[in-house]
Amino acid sequence: MVQYNFKKITVVPNGKDFIDIILSRTQRQTPTVVHKGYAISRLRQFYMRKVKYTQQNFHEKLSTIIDEFPRLDDIHPFYSDLLHVLYNKDHYKLALGQINTARNLISKISKDYVKLLKYGDSLYRCKCLKVAALGRMCTVIKRIGPSLAYLEQIRQHMARLPSIDPNTRTILICGYPNVGKSSFINKITRADVDVQPYAFTTKSLFVGHTDYKYLRYQVIDTPGILDRPFEDRNIIEMCSITALAHLRAAVLFFLDVSGSCGYSIAQQAALFHSIKSLFMNKPLTIVCNKIDLQPLESIPEEDMKLVMEMKAEAMKTVIGQGGEPTNDEDVLLSMSTLTEDGVIAVKNAACERLLNQRVELKMKSKKINDCLNRFHVAIPKTRDQKERPPCIPQAVLEAKAKQAAEKVNRKTEKDLEEENGGAGVYSASLKKNYILANDEWKEDIMPEILDGHNVYDFVDVDILQRLEELEQEEGLRQAEEDDDDFEMDGKELTPEELRALAEIRKKKTLLIQQHRIKKSTAESRPTVPRKFDKDKEFTTKRMGRQLSALGLDPSLAINRARSKSRGRKRERSLDRGDTDGDVMDMDVDTPNKKQRLRSLSRSRSRSRSRPPTEVVPGEGFKDVAQKGKALKLAKKSVKKRNKDARRGEADRVIPTLKPKHLFSGKRSTGKTDRR
Amino acid sequence: MPQGDYIELHRKRYGYRLDHFERKRKKEAREVHKRSATAQKALGIKGKMFAKKRYAEKAQMKKTLAMHEESSSRRKVDDDVREGAVPAYLLDRDNTTRAKVLSNTIKQKRKEKAGKWEVPLPKVRPVAEDEMFKVLRSGKRKTKQWKRMVTKATFVGPGFTRKPPKYERFIRPTGLRFTKAHVTHPELKCTFNLEIIGVKKNPNGQMYTYLGVLTKGTIIEVNVSELGLVTPAGKVVWGKYAQVTNNPENDGCVNAVLLV
Repeated sequence: MVQYNFKKITVVPNGKDFIDIILSRTQRQTPTVVHKGYAISRLRQFYMRKVKYTQQNFHEKLSTIIDEFPRLDDIHPFYSDLLHVLYNKDHYKLALGQINTARNLISKISKDYVKLLKYGDSLYRCKCLKVAALGRMCTVIKRIGPSLAYLEQIRQHMARLPSIDPNTRTILICGYPNVGKSSFINKITRADVDVQPYAFTTKSLFVGHTDYKYLRYQVIDTPGILDRPFEDRNIIEMCSITALAHLRAAVLFFLDVSGSCGYSIAQQAALFHSIKSLFMNKPLTIVCNKIDLQPLESIPEEDMKLVMEMKAEAMKTVIGQGGEPTNDEDVLLSMSTLTEDGVIAVKNAACERLLNQRVELKMKSKKINDCLNRFHVAIPKTRDQKERPPCIPQAVLEAKAKQAAEKVNRKTEKDLEEENGGAGVYSASLKKNYILANDEWKEDIMPEILDGHNVYDFVDVDILQRLEELEQEEGLRQAEEDDDDFEMDGKELTPEELRALAEIRKKKTLLIQQHRIKKSTAESRPTVPRKFDKDKEFTTKRMGRQLSALGLDPSLAINRARSKSRGRKRERSLDRGDTDGDVMDMDVDTPNKKQRLRSLSRSRSRSRSRPPTEVVPGEGFKDVAQKGKALKLAKKSVKKRNKDARRGEADRVIPTLKPKHLFSGKRSTGKTDRR
Repeated sequence: MPQGDYIELHRKRYGYRLDHFERKRKKEAREVHKRSATAQKALGIKGKMFAKKRYAEKAQMKKTLAMHEESSSRRKVDDDVREGAVPAYLLDRDNTTRAKVLSNTIKQKRKEKAGKWEVPLPKVRPVAEDEMFKVLRSGKRKTKQWKRMVTKATFVGPGFTRKPPKYERFIRPTGLRFTKAHVTHPELKCTFNLEIIGVKKNPNGQMYTYLGVLTKGTIIEVNVSELGLVTPAGKVVWGKYAQVTNNPENDGCVNAVLLV
């Protein structure tokens, strides 16, 4: 259900405050430090953010205003009319419309300036654009200043409107000014309305609450209405008219029979007839007030006729709508708020009729079927004339009677007090209610301090229980110890086995050591194929040692290995080509023996490479011999290294695969080798 | 009194607390000291704002005081001749405003012929070419530098069609194009948002005039048909010249003064 509470609308700041709030927010919540040297995109972004942020805040604030103020078309017609009467609908809508326009304008300004900022080419220009943007936004807000002020006033007034619920049970009090409406509401509720002996003391609607049959009723006191054309009525009267027109309530029309309010009965009757269209379909009661001044019976004949006419009208209003009076006395009631004569009767009659009407209306509505078809009260059909009262067993009845008797007989402490001399004399004994093993102990004197010690310090309530627990624990432990008593009885090792074990362990440690050495130098060691036997471990000697350790005869294996190994290289015999070299000798002038030999062994098409010892001019050698010697020396110097497969100066080197300076930091344009 | 006015209701019933007015008086008396404390303490922008506000208040106060004193104090009558005053022998003539307008239009025509204008901003800061244009690099390797982008606000006529990018030497970005100007009528002292018809002359050079660049001091032609100005002949004037008085690229709008 919609709650009509206008107290929660946020405060609408006035134009200047509004601007201050937003601008200081922008200043506080966006970065403030910027320098000329920054990249232009960063500068643009800095100022764009300011413009956008300001716009967002304006938008947010204006949106709250628009959303929180009630839309007159959406709320209950009672409230929308009341607000129209109090604040003028056109003015109200215009103000909200202006706020909306301002919101759109600001969004547009922000969009335009962000677009322009994209073309800003210097800090100065960006800043100028930002200043212009914020300035224009503020100007827009300054222009709607009057609207903001108006809305703030309305907000304050709305927050103080009485919280009337238009849909609940309502009793509405109306009548001429000064006929005792406010006095009546003061009598039946706690509304505390001001009562003064002049007209229009009540200038707005007042709400109070009263109870009837455990239900809460809302009682509304309205300002007095004068009998004049609708257009001439002022705001105060219009409040009453609005309430009468839109609230489905029980209406109490107050009639001052004494005429002390300054209006005669005839005038009041005229008002009644002029506004009776507002009473249609509402339980209407005519209340004759101030009967202490003039009883209803003693009013003149023609006035009595008028009153009766009104009563007849009032009877008509609700016919066919429920809430018809049970007897026609409920329609015309008389009371006196001064002597409180008949006040409660009026309230009860009004409440009763309203309740009846509401129930009847509900029963007629379509929704009621959904509820009613869930109820079923089963009543068995009567078969015969026999009476069938509920059956209660005799024992139960007796028990009930006994319980009742006991309740009466039980002596309370209060009774005891009365018997023993009343209050002040009798002192109740607390000891008699002690629950002890033996009733005789009740009156025993218990020392609190004994031999300078507090007795209670030495009292342990559950000492026996604890003792038992301890004993149980001890028993358990003993049982465990009995279980643990057996020993592992392994056989003693023989000396041979011990030796073998020692051997195994030694071998193990050796292996571990070797592995560790290998591992520690793993990175600096070149990987060499096994066949080169770098560490000289694959020797026949070692093989023999190992085999004999295993208990095998190594001689056979050693011999085989020796037979397989190659001895010294066979010398190349020099007399190979000499036998059939004569044919070629004739036309070739051989430079030396070696060349000539090769020419024989290889085909002619193949080109010959220069021998390494041949002297090339520019190398700095005197002759072939010198070069040969130098080569030999060089070879000799690297022979050892090469054999160990160690790194020489000719080896290809990549110092670091991923140098730090090439793999960290940003790369600028065109540079890949340094950062 | 409505139901919600708790404070008023309480005051009506029980009145003010006994020392209410004494406290109020004291609070008011202390106010000046408090103000001076804030004035001395406020730093930076807050200090400036405070000083400005205080200055305005004081000036207002002085003016009010002077106004009150004016009625009582004696002073010399100023002998300055009011504007529009006429000697006694000319009083019987009624000066026609129409004649003035007529002469004005004649003058205007003459001036237009001569190409010289007496304008509100006679001197403008020259704008260098590198400030006016930004060089755009083009080509696959971005080595060609013959394209220029105008960095100032421009006016581009409605019928403008771009050349193909290959031949387009000057680019006028759409974001910096303006079609409307805030034109102030110097005699009416009010401002209108009028449409720009064209750029008559940019003081920085002929090229900028053709490009439609709007810088400070540029003469533009605006559509004044909304103003309902009428020529002496009775025709409705719809185009009039105005001079730009601000830097549109910095302010985001074009402000101009109508040349009359």
